[in-house]
Amino acid sequence: MLSINQLNKYYHSQKLALSNYSIDIHKGVLGLLGPNGAGKSTLMKIIATISQPSSGSLIFDGIDIVKNPNAIRKVLGYLPQDFGVYPNLNAYEFLAYIAAMKGLGGTGLKRRIELLLDGVNLTADAKRPIGSYSGGMKQRVGIAQALLNDPKVLILDEPTVGLDPEERMRFRQLISDLAQDCIIILSSHIVSDIDTIADEVAIMQEGKLIAHASQYEIIKQAEGKIYEVLLAHDALKQFKNQYKVIDTARQLNQVKVRYIDQPNHTIDSAVPVIATLEDAYLFLTQNNV
Amino acid sequence: MPYIFTMIKADYLQRTRSYSFLIVLAVTVLMAYAFTPDHHANYTTLSALGYKGAYNSAWVGYVTSIMTAVMLSYAGFLLINSAIKKDMETEVGLIIATTPISNFKYLLYKLVSNYLLLLTITAITFFISIAMFFFRGTGYPFVWSDFILPYLFFPVPALFIVASLAIVAEVFLRNRTILQLILYFALCGICMSLINSKSGPQTNGFFDPFGLNLITKSVVRHINTHFNENLESVSFGFIFNGQKTFKVFEWGGLNWSALFILSRLIWIGLGIVLVYVSSLFFHRFDCSAPAKQPKRKSADLAVSEFAPVRKPMQLSIAELPALTFNYGIFSFIKTELRLLLRQGNQWIWLLNAGLWLAMCFAPLEIAYSYLLPILLFMQVTRWSELATKEKANRVHYFAYASYKPLQRLLPAQMLSGLIFALLLSLPIIMRLILIGHGFAVIHVINGNAFIVLLAVALGITSGGKKLFEIIFFLLTYSVLNKVPVTDYLGSLSHPHQLSFLLTVLSLNLALLILSLVMRAYQTKNM
Repeated sequence: MLSINQLNKYYHSQKLALSNYSIDIHKGVLGLLGPNGAGKSTLMKIIATISQPSSGSLIFDGIDIVKNPNAIRKVLGYLPQDFGVYPNLNAYEFLAYIAAMKGLGGTGLKRRIELLLDGVNLTADAKRPIGSYSGGMKQRVGIAQALLNDPKVLILDEPTVGLDPEERMRFRQLISDLAQDCIIILSSHIVSDIDTIADEVAIMQEGKLIAHASQYEIIKQAEGKIYEVLLAHDALKQFKNQYKVIDTARQLNQVKVRYIDQPNHTIDSAVPVIATLEDAYLFLTQNNV
Repeated sequence: MPYIFTMIKADYLQRTRSYSFLIVLAVTVLMAYAFTPDHHANYTTLSALGYKGAYNSAWVGYVTSIMTAVMLSYAGFLLINSAIKKDMETEVGLIIATTPISNFKYLLYKLVSNYLLLLTITAITFFISIAMFFFRGTGYPFVWSDFILPYLFFPVPALFIVASLAIVAEVFLRNRTILQLILYFALCGICMSLINSKSGPQTNGFFDPFGLNLITKSVVRHINTHFNENLESVSFGFIFNGQKTFKVFEWGGLNWSALFILSRLIWIGLGIVLVYVSSLFFHRFDCSAPAKQPKRKSADLAVSEFAPVRKPMQLSIAELPALTFNYGIFSFIKTELRLLLRQGNQWIWLLNAGLWLAMCFAPLEIAYSYLLPILLFMQVTRWSELATKEKANRVHYFAYASYKPLQRLLPAQMLSGLIFALLLSLPIIMRLILIGHGFAVIHVINGNAFIVLLAVALGITSGGKKLFEIIFFLLTYSVLNKVPVTDYLGSLSHPHQLSFLLTVLSLNLALLILSLVMRAYQTKNM
């Protein structure tokens, strides 16, 4: 288990990136949701030991990793949001280099790298310099490097960026398989990535944890508060001033609006709909403003 | 046009708001101080066979201005030769390419930005030179025009040419940094040789971008007339001749001719023309090389049309072989050496090999004092990348989160750099061993370690490559000019060899500690 206690992170005297953040993370997939600037990347950097908190502790298997970062680094897999590669190395050489960083060696390493490259479908391009790869191919190199050391803690920051729909589906499957024996912390702006694989969801806003529960419990908080209504185009602007609109879809001369309202809604033509994780996320973050 | 000024301002601020530029300014202050040596110093900055000008306004103003022109023409090029490259690396260039700005306007704003950077440094040397005039105070009256006019007619136009040549080099040679440096320094060498040309001043103003021929002729004429000498030339730069007693003469400056001023304007015009011509060939950030079509048999083609494009990503962790741990640094060293060898253009190896072989057969003194420093400098972009490439390539996320990065990755980078430097120095080391100069061998190894540690420390501290590249250039320039205080390889003959060895060793230790402390901080504070 990874236990985060009373974590604070100040970037400047005024800017608070994380505020009294506490959470216990168990095996399985924890989906991190939050608007830009909520502190998701900061939290993940602190867990990945590349940023130090201003105060608080992170306990992994009984060891404070703020004081002893090497304790988690041996079992850590990290896929940052905007990572790069050495363009002059090929994929095999790059993974061998990352393996050395993780302290991996032995006769099985070559085979491990080959299987990982095959698994992310890069065998045919493994001898080509990574500088010539497409964005999606680089992202797959990033996924392979994160899995090199059979991580017990896997941190994935926007992992599906650059992947095509089929690769994204396979990636979700892979994450589900890994989650049996591993703590996976996954951040994504694509809520559908999270709602299909996350066992638990943590919603962050302005450096604070505003909700942490199973998907079912998170969605339950928005149940009975999500509605859809058909409006004329020119009525939309005024409607937006009165209600919290989640989504709009154009339909001939009208627009279908999905919005948040109280259970005893005031619009007769509105239809209550089943809440999704995205609805619940928007409901919670907008209610918290 | 107002938007051009906004772009120039933004570019200028972006390039000057860095620690490395601040350090460059500090180095500038130091250099400007050294342009006006103490009366008892064992070097001069304008040498004419044991003659030295009295420190009147004209001498201080003119000599510091030509020293600024000469030194900044060399070192300044290193500072500004990545204006377009930076836009490529940050991918800001892709955004610029989609805007209506023309190639010429874009290159023009880069030219002006380059120029402003050099002028900032020139302004500092200008004010320091005035301060030095009073500091060295020999009682001569202060004359403003003796400072303003030489600065206006020597460095100001010359640096415009340097700024435009940096643009031309970036357009035509793109990322071939070493080739840019070789061609540029060769060009500078040719121009410098014109300074002491015997042709008349009426023509030399037009063929001398630095315009320095005018001053050399005037000084030579003055000495020959007043001291009945038959001098033909004078030398610029930090000239250590160990001669502490000079014959002092009073030199009153130049009479500026309209033709000379016209020649400066023509050189500035030529700079603009060069940039305009470059704009016709500018890639506008479309740098993708046309893909080579692999040769395929027609049968393969027929099959491939029906073959699936590719199989989907499928990975089973359970199938992976068991993990074995190895916390040594050998794998790092291997990859770091591989990265060092693959950096830059491969054709440079031809030059490296030529110099390496020349070091085997050339007279030892030439090989040791000239060829080795030049060969080491030719790897400047390799050294400067040693500890900056993680951030430049955004691999630092992995590097800093790796197991014991301070104890494993950083030492591996230093060791691979040292191994590479020793391989380059091998002919000298072997020759020194063969003649039994064990002390010199230690000096060479110590000097190699110094370059590697300097590159690592400055790279980590400044976060970029430029600072090291400029300092290494100045160091190499000084070594080639036999400045004793910069003898990091022990190649010069002077009585302080042991104290120099110990000084470099102490510096190495300090650089090592600085690198470790700074990297330790960085790994925890991304």
